[in-house]
Amino acid sequence: MLFLSQLANALVIGTLYALMSLGLSLIFGVLKLVNFAHGEALMVGGYLFYVLASLQLPLPLALLFSTPLLFLFGVLLERIFLRTPYQRKMARYDEYVILVTFALGIFLQNLAFPIFGPYNRQAPSLFNRTIRLGELIVGGDRMSGALVSFATIGILIFFLYRTSLGKGLRAVAQNPGAASIVGIKVLRMRSVAFGIGITLAGVAGALFGPIFLVNPEMGTSFAVKAFVIVVLGGMGSVKGTIFGAYGLAIVESFGSILLPDPTRSLAYKDAYGLLLLMLVLLVRPQGLFGEKERPA
Amino acid sequence: MKGIFPAVLLIFAVLFPFLFRDYWLYVATISLYYAILASSWSMLAGHVGLISFAHAAFAGIGAYTSALLVIHQGLPVPVSVLVGALVAALFGLGIGALTLRMRGPYLALTTLGFSELFRISITAEYGLTQGSIGLKVPLMIEGDRVLSYYTGLALFVLTVVTLTGVLRSRVGLFLVAMREDEDGASTRGINTVYYRLVAFVLTSAFAGLAGGFYAHVVGLVSPQMTRIGEMGLILAMSVFGGLESLLGAALGAIILQGLTEYLRIFTEWRLAIFGALVLFTLKLAPEGVLPRAYVYAERLLDRWLGRA
Repeated sequence: MLFLSQLANALVIGTLYALMSLGLSLIFGVLKLVNFAHGEALMVGGYLFYVLASLQLPLPLALLFSTPLLFLFGVLLERIFLRTPYQRKMARYDEYVILVTFALGIFLQNLAFPIFGPYNRQAPSLFNRTIRLGELIVGGDRMSGALVSFATIGILIFFLYRTSLGKGLRAVAQNPGAASIVGIKVLRMRSVAFGIGITLAGVAGALFGPIFLVNPEMGTSFAVKAFVIVVLGGMGSVKGTIFGAYGLAIVESFGSILLPDPTRSLAYKDAYGLLLLMLVLLVRPQGLFGEKERPA
Repeated sequence: MKGIFPAVLLIFAVLFPFLFRDYWLYVATISLYYAILASSWSMLAGHVGLISFAHAAFAGIGAYTSALLVIHQGLPVPVSVLVGALVAALFGLGIGALTLRMRGPYLALTTLGFSELFRISITAEYGLTQGSIGLKVPLMIEGDRVLSYYTGLALFVLTVVTLTGVLRSRVGLFLVAMREDEDGASTRGINTVYYRLVAFVLTSAFAGLAGGFYAHVVGLVSPQMTRIGEMGLILAMSVFGGLESLLGAALGAIILQGLTEYLRIFTEWRLAIFGALVLFTLKLAPEGVLPRAYVYAERLLDRWLGRA
């Protein structure tokens, strides 16, 4: 029974992990950079949903309204901080983007402290009742979060593989030079990819809000998990990211019942992901589904 | 002109305890801790092109190692601080060996994860570390503030001199060559992975050294010193002071730390302000605010001298 409930939990959490990591993976694929502010995008989404919900907006509407705001936020950030250095082929661009996204994360996190205070906030969940499947009990907040994530991932995959905008994004991810020759606007695709990435993280944050709590520092641990997932699955690969997300959720879920001391096992839940990351870096640095890096 | 500036700074630093006492002397001692961290981090980020987010964690490793050795083994403070630096270097070696074979952001990713893991473990291992309450640590030199300040100054000078020495040596040339063109450097026979590892281990050791020093100045080590915000502070100091200048980064640390004391009134907004400062700096003067101010000041001085 313990096995089954842990597995169910892993599947639910894994779906949520997949949602937040796909944003990171998409940004990496198209912009070729790791967004170190991804955790903070998640935190912003969490607070945005919390604020909209406390305005007495119906919850599904609150979630729906937050998406264009998050997308706009992402596009704006890309335009301000990432576009010009890319266009001007700035010297040492790789280091610049790490610094600027990390600084952005620090800024947002510490902006949230004075605005919302260091306390934990609990956002209301879309669906409150617990669901019983035989002996299996899953919380309604988790279940509804997983279902919405699942649907969002479905929409994302449809968008990426079946619409012309999505195909444009994938073309830029594969080869920006060739994409621009066939008339795809590379700069616009970069903005769109960043906007979508931030939106996915933000929606994940809104769905995490009721399950874990919303606080200014919530982003860091989720960001680290998303990094682990993306490295595990292979950076920029959609399939790999989804597998990585379930993989990490399963490892965490079963890892946490290995240690007898409950407070410790809770604290070290995050450690399993890191051990997994180190293992992947040792054995298969390109990730499960990533392409091997070829030196120029 | 180039040599005069550091000399003037050093003379001022040596005379500082005669001009200021108690509170501001203590503030200056703490800012020396940050100066060591910022200058070693800027060597790594600016000259080698490696971005590590575990610098604050390495300082924490140095601090906890030294604290635990003094408390449980009764080791003298200087020895335990050195051991702390060594342990930090060993951790650097482990992480570096794992991630520096690959290009790209793997070091930044892994160090961020490691830093979080370290903070979580020291918070969870209450029996050993007193968790988030923090560990009370004996002060160095019976808490003599002037001598502690001079110890910090000596460690800071040691850091800058050693790292500058490395940068001016053959190895330094290798590092810059690798940063500019890695494939080019490796076709000329430079073992790029090896030298990156050397630079990473060296700077990690200095972070550990700074951490040990800090522990015995403040008398308390807690998981607070390895928070991501601390890492953000080190980054802000280095970027503000100029990533490509060790002294600039150190000055950045001292200025921002001094500002922090003034900004105490609105403590909550401090890191948000520094975060915004970094974003503005990266956008408007990516080489750093201080190097740009230095160039302007020099131009102004030249014009003024030219007319006189």
